[in-house]
Amino acid sequence: MHSVGRMYAQIVLFDGFDPLDVVAPFEVLAAGGALSGGGLDVRLVSAEGPRRVVSGTLGLALEASAGLDPELPGYVVVPGASGPIEGDPDVVDTIPVLLARVGETALPGLVGTAMSRPDVTVATVCGGSLALAMAGLLEGRTAVTHVRGLDVLDATGVTVVEARVVDDGDLISAGGVTSGLDLGLYLVERSFGPRVAHAVEQLFQYERRGTVWRAAGVLPVPA
Amino acid sequence: MSTADAPGTGVAGTWSLTIATPIGRLPVTLVLGYESGVLTGAATGRDETVPLTDIAAVAEPGGVRLTWRQVISRPMRLNLSFDVLVSGAAMAGYSRAGRLPRSAVTGVRGQ
Repeated sequence: MHSVGRMYAQIVLFDGFDPLDVVAPFEVLAAGGALSGGGLDVRLVSAEGPRRVVSGTLGLALEASAGLDPELPGYVVVPGASGPIEGDPDVVDTIPVLLARVGETALPGLVGTAMSRPDVTVATVCGGSLALAMAGLLEGRTAVTHVRGLDVLDATGVTVVEARVVDDGDLISAGGVTSGLDLGLYLVERSFGPRVAHAVEQLFQYERRGTVWRAAGVLPVPA
Repeated sequence: MSTADAPGTGVAGTWSLTIATPIGRLPVTLVLGYESGVLTGAATGRDETVPLTDIAAVAEPGGVRLTWRQVISRPMRLNLSFDVLVSGAAMAGYSRAGRLPRSAVTGVRGQ
């Protein structure tokens, strides 16, 4: 199905997704792929196959061109949801409710398969990590999510690190909404090196924010 | 872990609880009993039954303070810790999911 050595970035759409969580990494990865000379096939996918998927913001819809294929080497990017944060979850479709609903779809199973493959890295933006954690996929992992969701993420058994981007090996998570830009730039740098990432920064007139956290080097002593 | 002391003995049996989670209220059936004099229990929610851990029952004025932990994966993965006061056929207190603010828990004896 895919040619040898080809890398894919599959960005997942689900009902109620946050548009910027999707579009920010989509644009950055698309630019990185182009500036690397065509090294990355970037596509929007859904767990259910090709379909029109309605976001959680004013009905804005995007088109998934294919189903998520967990066997494709490269990246699977899971966005968060857009909706009210406050409210009685029995009455209002709050963001945690929308994210938990993702757990009822085929997505956790597909992402679980992707995580088990050595040539696939799963990346999340905003509440994407929370959706996977609620589905029980991030047990004992280290990750970040939107600042408003950190406590819930902690309650799911994830070790929370408050960084813009957290690199936990085959799981790379980013914080709230705009951190999808930083995630995209980090993935571009990981795949193609700093020159291509820098060229994307120049094109987008945006410089990556913050240090990407990894469990490497010296453990800081208490200040 | 509590032993079969007098205050703990009063909590054994079946309890119907309602616990609040970030995605809504969850009905849970709690079964508490003794195995070799040690208080044990299990909680049955939607689609799963999970064991209770770190169970402790301590006599207090007005009832028995019962605390325990449980790890649920349905409807979502959550670490929950409970702290309730049992008086007769009712219990009331709170549960906490990780660092989230605590939420009220109420329970009555029976299915």
